[in-house]
Amino acid sequence: MSREEGVREALKEVLDPEYPISLVDLGLIRGIEVDGSTARIKLTYTCMGCPATDMIQDDIRDRLLLMDGIAEVEIEEVWDSWSRENISDKGLVQLRNVGVV
Amino acid sequence: MTPVTEEILLDRIKSGKLIEDSSQATERYIEGLKRVLTVSADTELISAPAYMRATRDFSTLPSVNNYITVMGIVQDELGHAHIAYRMLRDLGVDTEELVYGRDPKQFKYPYAFDVPLESFTELVVANGFYDRAGFTLLSDIHKNSSYGPWKRALVKVDREETFHLRHGEKWMGVLSRDPEKKAEVQRAVDWMFVLTLEWFGLPDTMKRHKEQIEYGYKGSTNDELRQTWMSATVPLCEKLGFDAPAHYDKEKDEYVIDCPFPARFDAEEKRWAFEEGAISWDDVIQRWRERGPSNEEFVDHIQRGYKELYNGSSN
Repeated sequence: MSREEGVREALKEVLDPEYPISLVDLGLIRGIEVDGSTARIKLTYTCMGCPATDMIQDDIRDRLLLMDGIAEVEIEEVWDSWSRENISDKGLVQLRNVGVV
Repeated sequence: MTPVTEEILLDRIKSGKLIEDSSQATERYIEGLKRVLTVSADTELISAPAYMRATRDFSTLPSVNNYITVMGIVQDELGHAHIAYRMLRDLGVDTEELVYGRDPKQFKYPYAFDVPLESFTELVVANGFYDRAGFTLLSDIHKNSSYGPWKRALVKVDREETFHLRHGEKWMGVLSRDPEKKAEVQRAVDWMFVLTLEWFGLPDTMKRHKEQIEYGYKGSTNDELRQTWMSATVPLCEKLGFDAPAHYDKEKDEYVIDCPFPARFDAEEKRWAFEEGAISWDDVIQRWRERGPSNEEFVDHIQRGYKELYNGSSN
């Protein structure tokens, strides 16, 4: 597994602050790069007025800093457009189970 | 169709089968359910103007992102209110009249929301305390409700309430690291903790509506729910270094309130008159009935647009 894949796996454990779906399955992660001990994440949100931007960033940082060899996490908010097409199949099932989507 | 008797209804509830509509219940069950649903709907609804009120002084917000978060929470609360009013409408209640036609004093939400939240600091303590109270009550209903539509609707509601709670607990933590802000949070804890204890209502020994448990509207009693709330809130305060007037008693295996309770509350000063000792619940009910300082303002906030739109001609 490449280091980027390792980071992606770790991000699958980071859940959206409201619903039980990972940021990866929700389609918010738009780029992963590992450079030495720094992980660089490109992140978007489901809307411009996302109420949970701080929490999402805190959770990404907390999880990635637990990884061996990662000492710094840089998050770039890319504001790429997001739509429900970006939700994975697994994510759609998870959201349907809690009455969303 | 045979009308449902009390006996058939109670057997159905005891067997764990859900009630799906009024044809499967007695009138007494439906009337009680309406009462409980109205409290829940009104509480969700009034939290919207109450939380918006807290952002009026922009200088208390750490950044514009916090404003967006609060508006996200307000939007969630309106969605939760809509779910509960929708269920009332399905039971035949005129919800237009309920929301836009009632006098402020007829609304059935907890007294705590009548005391204005006047800063971001007070708002995050409300998210930590009041949303925890809401979560405690709704989780119990979600687990134990005998009314199917409500039980299912609460899956989404519970998730969103978790987010509000986390917002409150996170920012109580952030503010606790700045001595000046920490003192502000402590001041808010001092008046809001006991108001939230009141939220759960009369002690079990004095409770009148016994059908709440019998009919399975909920599973736990007022005192049990108060304990559940304290079991989350007291450790939170301890962890963040705030004083809360309750502690865990090992021998009794329960939380014990350390101040006179219930007590007289000065809503203008946001201060408890603990020096006067405990008062009777009748006095508390009297205060609840008279409602608090922001009751009219918040209900007006909800009703104003409707009244302007229809120019009073709809009624």
